[in-house]
Amino acid sequence: MNFMQPVVPYIARAALLSIAWTAAALAAPAAVGASPAAGTAISPGPAPAVATAPAVVPAATAPADAPGTTTPPGDVKTLDQEVQGLKKDVIDLNKDLFILEEELLFPANTQVALYVSMDVGAFFALDSVTVKIDNKVVANYLYTAREAEALLKGGVQQVYLGNLKIGKHELVAFFTGKGPVERDYKRGATINFDKGVGAKYLELKITDRVAKHQPEFTIKDWE
Amino acid sequence: MGRVLLAGSLLLSAALAAAAVAPATLIGKDAPDFVLKAMDGRNLRMSEFRGQVVLVNFWARWAGDSRQEMPALDRINTTYERAGLVILGVSVDEDIVRAREFAGAMKVSYPIMFDTGSTIGRDYLLQKMPVTILVDRSGVVRYMNVGFKRGDERAYLDHIRELLRE
Repeated sequence: MNFMQPVVPYIARAALLSIAWTAAALAAPAAVGASPAAGTAISPGPAPAVATAPAVVPAATAPADAPGTTTPPGDVKTLDQEVQGLKKDVIDLNKDLFILEEELLFPANTQVALYVSMDVGAFFALDSVTVKIDNKVVANYLYTAREAEALLKGGVQQVYLGNLKIGKHELVAFFTGKGPVERDYKRGATINFDKGVGAKYLELKITDRVAKHQPEFTIKDWE
Repeated sequence: MGRVLLAGSLLLSAALAAAAVAPATLIGKDAPDFVLKAMDGRNLRMSEFRGQVVLVNFWARWAGDSRQEMPALDRINTTYERAGLVILGVSVDEDIVRAREFAGAMKVSYPIMFDTGSTIGRDYLLQKMPVTILVDRSGVVRYMNVGFKRGDERAYLDHIRELLRE
């Protein structure tokens, strides 16, 4: 039951919004063809969309070719603002639901997220990354030329998002690609980390070690 | 009354059986994304060809039809590559060494990739070989052909021209 508690208000809001959205969608086309001569009564002030809908309905029955069929721009503007407001509400609700879904699927207590970043890349062309946590493969990613280029331009890729229980864990990442002088290159990096309460963020970093003319692979623990 | 009920139940069960037997299809759905290593060492991702018409040919060394289909696809590729067509050959052979040899012998000009896993086959509902799929510019599967016989390439061309015009 505790699991459902945070969801209930969102579901209720979603239901209300969907009703309002449907009403607004029905009202919008009617308002465009609305004729003041036919006695259309669109409330001038900002009113809830549900309340506006019945007022607009008679306009739909008005003859389309009635003389002087021009809608007052102010009314249309009001309705448009309402529709825009509803759209914004839907977007906000969608965002809330997404966050809620993330929280439910990957609760902060158990969440672990891995990111890949590359700096310079003069000595290494990335081909793939394989990640093992506690000796179990959790991610295996092949990079296309465009994706590798995006990383070189400063992009950071989330390669894994999952759950881990609290305690000690070992992460091993294998990087394959072309090393210096176009040679096939495979290197690994390991980190032992403590998963405490709260989300854990780890960054798999590929950098250039200029002094040795070799790439360097490190794992950074973002506390 | 009993006969009516019996006839009704028979009809219902026949309809259910037909629905169960009806082959699943990807036509009208988004083409499942995949990334595979090509023979030339590049990694190619299906979704990166969005905006182009893509023909994906799943083949296997042991499927005789593949030997006929691949040269036909190569001819199509030579003609329509410049018009925005992308052909991707995906081998589903488990023996990657022999699949490479086979692909090398076929000397096709389009990229050949090797899938040794089972995910892509499952996503693309592969049951027989070869399977050819045409994906439009927005990434939706528009045509699917299982097997290959002489004359099929004409159907491919018709669909390709239609999709390129869109």
